[in-house]
Amino acid sequence: MASSTLKPGVPITLQELEPSSEIFKQGASLRVTGILQSYDVDSAVAVIQDGSAMLKVDTQHLRDISFRSGSMFQFIGELLIRPDDDVILQARVGRNVDGLDLNLYQQSLIIRRQHEARLLSSRRA
Amino acid sequence: MDSLHLVHVKLLAADLLTLTPRHTSPASFVRGGRTVARAEVVGVVVSRDRREKFLRFLVDDGTGCVPCILWLNHQYLNANSSSDSDPTGEMASKMSEVVRLGTLLRVRGRIVMYRGAIQIAARDVVLEEDPNVEVLHWLQCVHMAKECYDLALPSV
Repeated sequence: MASSTLKPGVPITLQELEPSSEIFKQGASLRVTGILQSYDVDSAVAVIQDGSAMLKVDTQHLRDISFRSGSMFQFIGELLIRPDDDVILQARVGRNVDGLDLNLYQQSLIIRRQHEARLLSSRRA
Repeated sequence: MDSLHLVHVKLLAADLLTLTPRHTSPASFVRGGRTVARAEVVGVVVSRDRREKFLRFLVDDGTGCVPCILWLNHQYLNANSSSDSDPTGEMASKMSEVVRLGTLLRVRGRIVMYRGAIQIAARDVVLEEDPNVEVLHWLQCVHMAKECYDLALPSV
C-alpha cells in the first residue's frame, strides 16, 4: 500500500478551480467531477466539463475504465500547474459516475464543508 | 448508559481519525464525551495491499483517508474472537474481491489502533454502485452529528 499518509482528494467543482482560488496549488490533491468531452487514446488525456468549466485529466495510470464521451466521471489525483496556468490533474483513481445528481452533489458539498469547519473549530476549542 | 458504542457510527474520515483513544480492551474511543467503538465510512478505494492473511486498503472520502484492514485468515479470526460479528475467512475473501482501486465502498467495523493510528477492522465491505449513495452518507453524517452524536448525555 502506498501509505496511510496519502492525502485525501478534496472534492471541488470545476468552477472553483481558478488561479485566484486557494485550492489552485501545485500538487494539490483533489477530487473532480465532470462530463467527458474528449479522450485522446495516444496521450491518455481526458477533458471533462461542468457547465462552462473544463479540466484536462491525465489518465495514464488508470486501468479498466471505459471512456465514453457524454458520460460523467470522477477522478482523484494531484494538480499539475504548467506555465501559463495550463492545468492538468494527474489522476490516481477514476470511476464512471453516471447517474450522479450533480446539483445535489454540489449543494451537499456546501453542507459538508460547513460541517467540517464546525468540526475543526470544535477540535481547536 | 450510553449506547452509542454498540452501533456503527456514521462518520466522515476527518471525524473518525481525530477520535480520542481510551485505554480499554477491546479498544474504544471518545467523541465529544461519548464512547464509540464501531464506525461506518463511505469512500473511494485509493490504495490496496493484499497479503496472505489480510487485505489492507485506504478509503478516501475527501476529508481523510481511512486505513482499513480485512482479515482473511479464518484461524486468526477464531483465535481472536473478541466479537462474534467478525466475518469468516470465506466471507472476508469474497468481500476482498470488491476492494479495487477507484471503487466506492461502504465499510463497517471496529475502530482499532495500529501503530498509533486509527483504523477500521472491517466487518462488512459493500460495493456501492450508485454514486448518489456517497452524497447521502455525507448528509447522514451531518444529520447524525447534529441530532445525536453531538448531543450531551442526559445526566442520571
